[in-house]
Amino acid sequence: MSILVDNVSKSYQTKTHLSVVRNLTLEVLTGELFVLVGASGSGKSTLLRLIAGLVNVDQGRIWLHGRDVTDLPVQQRNTGFVFQNYSLFRHMTVAENIAFALSIRQVSRQERERRTDELLNLIGLDGYGDRMPSELSGGQQQRVALARALAHEPEVLLLDEPFGALDAKIRVQLRQTLREIQQRLNLTTILVTHDQDEAFELADRIGIIEQGNLLEIGVPSALYRRPQDRFTATFLGSANMLNGERNGNKVYLNYQHEQVTLKAPPNTEHLSGRQVDIFSRPEEIELALTPDGIRGQLIGTGIVQSATFAGPLERVLVQLSAPGKDSPDPITLQVVLTADEAREKGINPGQQVWVGLKDFHLLARTES
Amino acid sequence: MRELRIRTPLQALLLALVLGYAGILLLAPMVAITQGALGSGLGKLIEALLTPDVIDAFELTFLLAFGAVIINTIAGIALAWVLVRHNFPGKNVVNALVDAPFSFSPVIIGYALILLFGRNGWLQPANFQIAFAWPGMLLATIFVSLPFVTREVQPVLADLTREQEEAAFTLGASRWRTFRRIILPQIWSGLLYGIVLTFARSVGEFGAVAVVGGSIERQTETATVFVFRAMDDRNLIGAYGVSVTLGLLSIAILVVMSLLRRRPAR
Repeated sequence: MSILVDNVSKSYQTKTHLSVVRNLTLEVLTGELFVLVGASGSGKSTLLRLIAGLVNVDQGRIWLHGRDVTDLPVQQRNTGFVFQNYSLFRHMTVAENIAFALSIRQVSRQERERRTDELLNLIGLDGYGDRMPSELSGGQQQRVALARALAHEPEVLLLDEPFGALDAKIRVQLRQTLREIQQRLNLTTILVTHDQDEAFELADRIGIIEQGNLLEIGVPSALYRRPQDRFTATFLGSANMLNGERNGNKVYLNYQHEQVTLKAPPNTEHLSGRQVDIFSRPEEIELALTPDGIRGQLIGTGIVQSATFAGPLERVLVQLSAPGKDSPDPITLQVVLTADEAREKGINPGQQVWVGLKDFHLLARTES
Repeated sequence: MRELRIRTPLQALLLALVLGYAGILLLAPMVAITQGALGSGLGKLIEALLTPDVIDAFELTFLLAFGAVIINTIAGIALAWVLVRHNFPGKNVVNALVDAPFSFSPVIIGYALILLFGRNGWLQPANFQIAFAWPGMLLATIFVSLPFVTREVQPVLADLTREQEEAAFTLGASRWRTFRRIILPQIWSGLLYGIVLTFARSVGEFGAVAVVGGSIERQTETATVFVFRAMDDRNLIGAYGVSVTLGLLSIAILVVMSLLRRRPAR
């Protein structure tokens, strides 16, 4: 185990909000890139700062590579930390920034220069050593910040929304750079973000944090398709939720006084006899002009509210309707079709369509 | 900057008036004391400047100025730090009080120090004289020149993100090393400017040091206090000579300050 956060709690007031982490336990494996995803104020940055030692725990222990660092000051934890706003030393050149940790450790000048050149090469900024940070673009500055955090060969790398201040294109490039470097160095890494795309692209495993609680941990595909928690389901992309009840091998979908019977998905026996949320991603919903066109499980008909062009995809909103009944509180489903599919099927606003579920998943309904 | 273009004679007249007013106000005193000082010849002037009174006065002036610079540099940085980085009840009051030396008459400060440290004063120690001696004068000088370092450092410090410090910590730097290598270099030009202003204010101070020092010849007499007494004594050449010296010092300080201001921020 490379990073072990053992039942850690912390509560403190920052300039803008109360930051809380509650009885949080987390294990990150050697060489793993773990992405912690949460909304702002969820406690994700606080957890990172607790691991780095920038703030101290109220309770619990933190272990890095088998070493209990809970009582060690930040300087002795040997972590590399990358901040959202680069936080380069503005009065130092790029090379001086990168070599800072080495000069603190009184590494010889020759060795410092060698290591700086090596790191500049690693981040693809050969020959930039003499520039000042202000002469670099945001993306380049963040690369330098990464190199600076790696110079002293830290045991773990901690990144706090490292791409948050960059524009979309640069962000994608930098993600690739980070992933390559992290894998090449086999460096145990925690990255904090609120961006689900970033999490999916980078993570070996993802952890979802909300109000200081770690809700769920898993590999990206599992968390996306089979979340166990309602918050996870809605936070990691769009989600359609329908009320239902699981009984025997069946799921009864209730809407607008109608009841539709569906075959229960596997591994949901523990929910038998309970009220459930029937959860389906927009791409797991099918639309067709005839009932024969539905290959999954048919749930009824609906009216297309809107169809929005989104490049290769078409985002469609469908209002479910039960024949002959007007509901005061209609259910609207978000559906994603490929542009081709939408064109072939002739899905246009105002049209009546048949709606089916290619796939769905059940979540225990919590009383709210 | 917008370029000034003179179109009408009235504009030219107004411009000449403004420049003439500023020129007379700023330059005339300088010309007058220089003329007065050199009126009896350079030899007499040098002679007047080398009398023991004058040498003692300048010694004391510089002693007080350097003392105030050292103490206000350290205390000023600390005060700026606390005001920028910490939140505490009454912070706004403290922040406003930093400017008190600008609004208080120095004479009143001198008098207050006598009340505190004079005979039967509340804070007068048994075996150490503060009022009517250099320690009291140093206190007065420190007080009147207190705001400069704090006010110059405060905005620069506020511009530095806390994250630069935190980055230095994670890279292994201690607090002191972080201050020396990350913070100090970045507040340096502001700090230097504050130090120069502190020095200038300290050298020029008259009221507070005259009152708390008691203007005792060759003991508690600074350069400005000497000028005052020399005029009273009709020692005009001495008064002019010391004035010119102080004036030249002020010009030198102005030059240093404008050089500091022009230094590009990296």
